[in-house]
Formats: sequence, structure tokens, C-alpha cells
Amino acid sequence: MEANPRVLGTTSIIIPLALPKGTKKLCELCEGEARLQCTECRVTFYCGAEHQQADWVGIHERICQLLVRIRRPTLTTCLEKVKMIEICRLVAQSKLSEGKHQEALPAAQFCLHCSIDVHGPRTVHIFPAYLLLAEVNMGLGNLPRVAELLSQAEWAVLKSPEHAVHHRLHRSLGRLHTVTGNLEAALFHFANDIYFASEEFGLDSTVTRGGYFLMADVYAKLGQIAIARSLYSEVARTWNCHLTKLFESHVQNPDILLEPCHDEAQRGEVNEMLQTMLDFGQNDSRKDIGRLHLVTHCLAMLWFLGGDSLKALGFGSTALQASQLIPNHDLTEPIQCLLQLVQTSD
Amino acid sequence: MNAAVTQQLTTNSDKQKKMSPYSRMKQEKEFLQIGSVSDKVAPIISKAEISLFRNSLKQNICVELLQQGFHRSFSELFFLLGSDADRRSVDETGSVWLQTPLDEQLDKLETMKLHLSLAERAESTCSWTVVCDQRLFLGQYFSAPEDVWLSLYFLHSCADRELGRHSRPATEARACLAEVYLQLGDLEQARLQAELCIQQAEDGSLLDLAGRPLRLRARKALWGVYSRLADAPLNAANYNKALTLLHKGYSIAIESEDKHIEWEALYQLGLTYQSAGDHDTARQYFNTCMQICSTLQDADGLGKSYKAMAKSNENKGNMHDTLLCLEKLADISGSNGLQHNLADANMCLGKIYFSTSEYSRAADYFLQGYDVACQLGDVALLQKAQVLVASARAHSLRARYSADVASTSSAALRRLVDWKETRGRQGLGTDSTDAATAGTDSLSRHHAGETHLQHKGFMDTCPRSQK
Repeated sequence: MEANPRVLGTTSIIIPLALPKGTKKLCELCEGEARLQCTECRVTFYCGAEHQQADWVGIHERICQLLVRIRRPTLTTCLEKVKMIEICRLVAQSKLSEGKHQEALPAAQFCLHCSIDVHGPRTVHIFPAYLLLAEVNMGLGNLPRVAELLSQAEWAVLKSPEHAVHHRLHRSLGRLHTVTGNLEAALFHFANDIYFASEEFGLDSTVTRGGYFLMADVYAKLGQIAIARSLYSEVARTWNCHLTKLFESHVQNPDILLEPCHDEAQRGEVNEMLQTMLDFGQNDSRKDIGRLHLVTHCLAMLWFLGGDSLKALGFGSTALQASQLIPNHDLTEPIQCLLQLVQTSD
Repeated sequence: MNAAVTQQLTTNSDKQKKMSPYSRMKQEKEFLQIGSVSDKVAPIISKAEISLFRNSLKQNICVELLQQGFHRSFSELFFLLGSDADRRSVDETGSVWLQTPLDEQLDKLETMKLHLSLAERAESTCSWTVVCDQRLFLGQYFSAPEDVWLSLYFLHSCADRELGRHSRPATEARACLAEVYLQLGDLEQARLQAELCIQQAEDGSLLDLAGRPLRLRARKALWGVYSRLADAPLNAANYNKALTLLHKGYSIAIESEDKHIEWEALYQLGLTYQSAGDHDTARQYFNTCMQICSTLQDADGLGKSYKAMAKSNENKGNMHDTLLCLEKLADISGSNGLQHNLADANMCLGKIYFSTSEYSRAADYFLQGYDVACQLGDVALLQKAQVLVASARAHSLRARYSADVASTSSAALRRLVDWKETRGRQGLGTDSTDAATAGTDSLSRHHAGETHLQHKGFMDTCPRSQK
């Protein structure tokens, strides 16, 4: 068998357990667990000498050196993969925000595979891919898979000191528990989400307020309407400030485009959030004119910035009516200014 | 990581025995250490309990607040912890660095959590007084000097509220603010807060927790402000301005209905007139001081008043009154055990008799002063008294011959020589105390600069008295 080793190629023994994690080597012919490695090219593996020889005789002798260039990971393929991960992520996210969960699934899955290829299976870098896939599965209603993915993600970031990562993890976990009806757990995770977001982005950031918004929903489900109300008011106030700033900078320099992150998808999300708060206010037994004014003003500014003057006009006039009902505070001026702008731009 | 967790675990369980989750965890730890010998089944540690130990104290407190729905308290606590961190990072002197960071002090965090959440709950039911009560409590809780910024924060958050700012606790917070600012030396703020407090407390008969009327407490603080404000012009010898401020302070002190403060205001006024050279007015004020003190039976204040009065009399050249005052001071101090005043009185009396050449009397008083100084253990005063006793003794000895010392006639010289020859047999008249002997050494140093003749006579007499 070993009488003519030069003709049949040389091999060295490999021990599968000694390989880096996640790099299981398979036999070239039978895809069984590999024990031998071709020493010529070092990229081809076999379960035993029999298959090695068969392959050598069959084709390997001819393509051994050619395989080296194809199979060995080089810097360029690595960069290609990183680029691919980014493309997959963007595609999956945009499909997700459009609500096309089924279509987003392949992109998210491929993103995870690529990430594992590039970074390895237990690193913090694959965390976004896990979350993305979990989100897609959440949209599809595949909750067991979401739970599995999130616990994988939790494991990956367990020791990471970055606040932002923990904030995203807890937000996703909170969402999962909200859907599964484990409201106490959801509160716990949203509380952590808000804490980490405050550490990372500050107390008054819109990111932190996202956690407030989700938490308010949980409190509303728990029947603690008073807490939900005050959380919603907080969210409305922050968004009002944020949008007012955007609006004012837009009015001063109309040529400068809005921040790139303020794209269609995000606007959709914000709109949905504000709309939810508006509905909550209308169904609430206790009418809160202050919040109604804030939310409708937000919506008016949002649609103005989004270029939909009809909706901006509608919400603007509601906000104006609401603001006129609030005594002692002159809140009408910014809204009137907005309405004027909408009318002149028509 | 593991080491850090265990460390946190042990410190937590040591510090926070009162905390129920912590103590429970400790029990469980002990249980685990005992091992599986006992039949009891180990209770399963919940996820929340695990996170208590895995996460920082700050995170635990924040998460608990949010989980209970107190998001405003969370924002406030988070903001305060952030400003504590900022305070530490901008600190250049290093004094703040030495303090324990706020986010590591469990009891303070727990107290803030409890009272902020109580305040938030009260706020949702619009009971503003309760809100102010809780904030006032926190303002008073942080009484340590390193926490004064927290105290100011909570007191302001109580006093400056839009809703409930006319409530009793909000008014008390103003009084506290005035006192804290006065302590910090921010007189402008202290005056502002005290005046606002007086305005708010004027109509109602609001009492603080100790049962004192708030309007009087605020006036006390306001008087303190004026008295401190007068310090600067006083140091610059700008007496008119100082007097204007002190008179204003005095009128507030009267309104405060506190006789001690009234006395203090009068005493300050008297002292200021004294420094300005207006001793008659000063004496009037000191007289009133004495009246107040005798109604209050305040021996210390009375002593101070007499002493100040004596000084004014002395400056006026009215020696008789001065001596009366000082004797009175010695009386009062002696009967009330105020040793420092007693020593002072004796020394002053001695000095006055010394200056009027009544040396043996002076020596008596100095000796009394020396005794008191011995009892007090005041070494500086003791040494001074020794010197003065010796000096007075020396003067009293050669009083008869002082004319001879000054004269240049041969008869005078002969008389001096005679005296020198016979003096050893005469003795001192009074017994030779160790004060006089111990004092000689320093005496020779102190009086070396005096006239030559004095020096000569002195050197002659003193060593012999030892024999």
C-alpha cells in the first residue's frame, strides 16, 4: 500500500479534536470525518488512505496544486466576505422594515453563515447577525427559533463590556418575552435595555426612549395604565425635542439633506411608534391634551420632513387645536410656523 | 472576571446584611459551603438573584426602579450618578477622588431609591406635600460634608418645585438651604433663600420637624448672613459699612425672638463700636448685653460682656470702672468654673495694678492667674504668668529704693549699699514661691532690654531671693 508513495501522493495524520472549533474537516469523497491531510496541497482531507488513494488516482494528482489557490482563505476572499456580510445585513434590514419577513430570511441566514466563517462561532462580531436573524424569525412567528438564536447571541456577548451590545440584546429579549406573554421577564429585560442605552447614548437619547416606548406597552398590558401614560409622555417629549431640532436645522438650511440614518425605513418606524401613542391616547379614558399636542406635533414635523405635506397639514391642525386648549403656555407658535411652511411649499 | 465577581460577591454580602436578597444569597452560600450533608434541598437561585451578583450595584438599582415603573426616579438617580462621575473626573485637587464613588455606596443608593420612588408615587396622585416631604428628607439625609452637593440638589428640587412649593416641607427646605449656603460661605445665596423663606413662612405659623417656627429659623440664618457680611468691611476697617450691616442684622435678631442671638448681635455691635473708637456707644451696647445675659443666666456671655466693657473703660481711661468690671468678671468666672475667663481677668487686673505701680497687688493677681493657668494646663499662659509674677515681685522689692537708683548723689548710693548689705536678713515679706524662682530665668531674658539701672537692681535682687 505504501510501496509507491510518491506516485500516490503523501499524507499526514490529523486529529479532528485538535482543529480549531467550527472547522470540521470532511473527507473529499465520502464527506465522513477526515483523518488524513494531503501534504502537497494541505487543503484536501480524507477519511482514510483508501479514499486518498482513490482520489489521487482519480483526479487529485492533476488538480492538487490548483486547489491550493481556490481553497486557501486569502485576504481578498476575507474582505469579499466582509463586504458580503454588510450587503446581506442591509438587504435583510430593508426587507424587514418593509415587513417582508419571508424574503429577508435568506439574506439574514447567509449573513450569519458568512459572519461565522469570517469571525468564528463564539465571537462578539457575529452578534448582530444573530439578532438580525432572530428579528426575522420573530416577524415570521417562529418563536422557538428566536429564543434559540437569542440565547446563542447572549452567549456570544456574555463577557463583552460594551453597553450598546447588551442594550440591543436586552431589547430583543424583551420583545420576545412580550410576544410570548412573559410580561415580568419582558419588564426586566426592557429595564436593562434602558439602563444600558442610557449608559451608551445618554438619558434623553431617542434610542433610550425606544426602550421606554416598548416598556409602556408592557405596562399597558399589565393594566398599569398610569405608568404607561407617563412613559409615553416621556417618549413624546423627547421625540418632540429631537424632531424640532431636525426641523429647525432643515428650515435654516433646506439644501442640506437630513441625516442619512433618517431614511425611509426609520421614518416608518417612528411613524408607527407615534401612531401607536396617538391611538393609546384616543382609547385612554383620561385624555391628556399635552401629550396629544406633542404627538401630533411630532407627526406633523415628521411628515413635513418626509415631504408629505397633506399629512403634515392634517396633523399640524390637530396639534394646533390641542395646543390652544393648554392654558398658560404659548405652544401655538412653532406649529403655526410649521403650517405656514407647509402651505407655502405647496 | 471570575475573581471580580467573587470579590463583588463577598463585599456585597459583607456590607449588605440587611438587604433581603443579599442575606438570602449569603445563606445560600453558607448552605453550599456546608455541603450536601444536610437533607434539605438547596433552593434554586433565580435569574434575578444571579443578575444581582453579576451586575454592578448601579445597574441593579436602576433596573429595580424601572421594573417597578419609577422611570422618573430612574432618570434622576442616573443623572446624579453621572454628575458624581463628572465631578470626580474634573476634580483637580484630588479631594473628591479620595471619597468613595456614589455608585459604590449601597445604603445611600438604597435610600435615594426608596425616597425617590415614594416621591414619584405621591406625584402620580398629586399629593405635592408628600413629594416635598420625601425630597426634604433626602436633602437632610446627605448631611456629610462630601455630600453637600446632593443635599443642595434635593433641597432645591424640593423648594423650587412648581407645584407644592408653598407647602411646609418646601418652606423648611428653604430654611435648610439658607443654612447650608451660610455654612458654605455663599452669603448671597444664603440671604436670598432666607428672605424667600421668611416671605413664605410669614403668614402661616409653619413649624419645622423639631417644632421650631420656620420664620424664626430663617431669621436666625439671615442674621448669620449679615453678621458674616460685616466681616469683610470690618477687616478693611470700614466701620460705617460694617455697622450698617450689623444694625440690620440686629433688627433681624430681635425679630428672631431668640435672646442668645440678640445678645450675639449686640455684642458684635459693641465690639465694632469699640474698634471704631466710639467707647461710649460700645458701653451702652455692652450694658444691654449684660442685662440679656443675666436674664438668660448665661455666665459665659456675661463674662464676655464684662471683659469687653472693661476694655472700653480702660480705653476711656476710666480705671475705677475697669477694675470693677474685671473684678466682676473674675467673680462670675470663678463661681461658674470658667477658668479661661478667670485667668484672663486675673492677668488683666494684674497688668492694671502693675501699670499704676501697685506691684504687690499686681503680683497677687498674676499669681492667681498663674494658678488657674496651672489648672488649665495652658503652658503659654503659665509661662507668661511666671514672668509677670517675678517682674511684679521684683518691682515691689525695690520700690523704696527706686529714687535712689535713679539719683546720682553719694548719699543715695550709700543707702543702696546699706540695703545690699542688710537685705539678706530682711526676707521677702511674702513667701518665695516656685513661680518667682522658676520665672527668673526667663525674666532675665525678657527684661534684658530695659534700662540699665533697672537691670542692675533686678539682677542683684533676684538670685539672692533664691537663697
